[in-house]
Amino acid sequence: MPDVDILVVGAGPAGAVAAWQAKLAAPELDVVLLERDRAVGAPVRCAEGVGDAGLREFANPDGADWVSRRITDVILESPDDTQVVLANSGIGWILDRTRFDAYLAAQAAAAGAAVLVGAEATAMSRNGDERWHVRVTERGREDLYRARIVIGADGVETMVGRWAGLDTRVPARDMESCAQYVLQGIDFNPNAIYLQFSNAIAPGGYAWIFPKGVGIANVGLGLVALKTNGHNARQYLDDWVARRFPSGVRTGYTVGGVIVHTTIKKTYADGVLVAGDAAHMINPLSGGGINNAMKAGRLAGCTAAAALREHDTTERRLASYHKAWMEVLGEDHLKYYRLKQALEHMDDAFLNSLARTVNKVVPEKRTLGRVLTHAMIKHPLLIPVVARFFV
Amino acid sequence: MRRVTPDTIAVVDLAVCDRCGLCLPLCPPEALHLELNILTVDDAACTGCEKCVAPCPVGALAMVAYA
Repeated sequence: MPDVDILVVGAGPAGAVAAWQAKLAAPELDVVLLERDRAVGAPVRCAEGVGDAGLREFANPDGADWVSRRITDVILESPDDTQVVLANSGIGWILDRTRFDAYLAAQAAAAGAAVLVGAEATAMSRNGDERWHVRVTERGREDLYRARIVIGADGVETMVGRWAGLDTRVPARDMESCAQYVLQGIDFNPNAIYLQFSNAIAPGGYAWIFPKGVGIANVGLGLVALKTNGHNARQYLDDWVARRFPSGVRTGYTVGGVIVHTTIKKTYADGVLVAGDAAHMINPLSGGGINNAMKAGRLAGCTAAAALREHDTTERRLASYHKAWMEVLGEDHLKYYRLKQALEHMDDAFLNSLARTVNKVVPEKRTLGRVLTHAMIKHPLLIPVVARFFV
Repeated sequence: MRRVTPDTIAVVDLAVCDRCGLCLPLCPPEALHLELNILTVDDAACTGCEKCVAPCPVGALAMVAYA
């Protein structure tokens, strides 16, 4: 029965950074990072886009082999394919998540954490010894880990949160059902990401083209099932791709859920912290979650390390993690969530006229803030002070 | 929340399911489980609410008459 200080469940960006930062903060602790799949970073369930500033808090993308493409432009598209090229959108990156996640896990390992792949936590319980007993299946063998703190970074399914008694359920209106192809041999600007908003193409979400290279892109969409005509995300994507890129070669596909909800009410319990997608820490407006997950992972890792040094893993002690998260990004996400709700009511005719209105603004002033200002004529109080896309 | 005898319950087509886990947090009674790469429905817990069906990106979930 392995005895560890911190057991991190899930080796995505949240979990890998949590293990890494916990070990940096308190090298004497035993930290184990579990990955259910056979390889860290695979399968990719992500469009792989990330903003520059947030990324650089954790890793330097310049010349890194885990980067697919540097992005300098954002192009918004209306339902009738009118394009709005955003000014001052900032710099972004399209990652190679299989390499990026492995890079982060390697940082955790270099700091002294143990990384186990093909190791799945299947249950956990609290047994009165102030430890969580976590059942872990690895290559058909079952082990019982005893952990003083478990960090749940187990993504959209968030079983750790469920086992710890936290409410991690999502209302149907706040779940984006996503499907994506890797398309090759297609024509687009490889320095730009494209986002198309249309209730006919991706109701309640948007369709995207995120370049991985010249002629190669992640082409996908997310939608809210309550708003569809009965088809699923993959069928909507097939329709869109057939129209936009009929000759594109599909060299990969992925599907998954993006939770566009606010952070769960409680991200901690006795001996438990939940981080990243598992705690609904995705930007509810953009659907972006990688930088948020790393920031949450850092907070979780540092909080866990400090709590263990103080010999206090009660939920009272761990509540500081939740407070810190809400101050860093949680409160912003509440604002983005309200903005998302207001934008949900725009129909395709309005979106088409919005694109034409914004295109009358001189190009250098065509910022995201300006687009939202025009979109939110009826809700001026909701306009946030965002001028850049990649935040 | 639990109906005494639901008329229908959810079933998974494992040949279609991509194991993405999207449906788990949508299930009010937490009747869906993804363990060792297999999605299962806990028949005793499923209330037949159907909230998992439409959001599945590949259409792997459906409702069937409760036997």
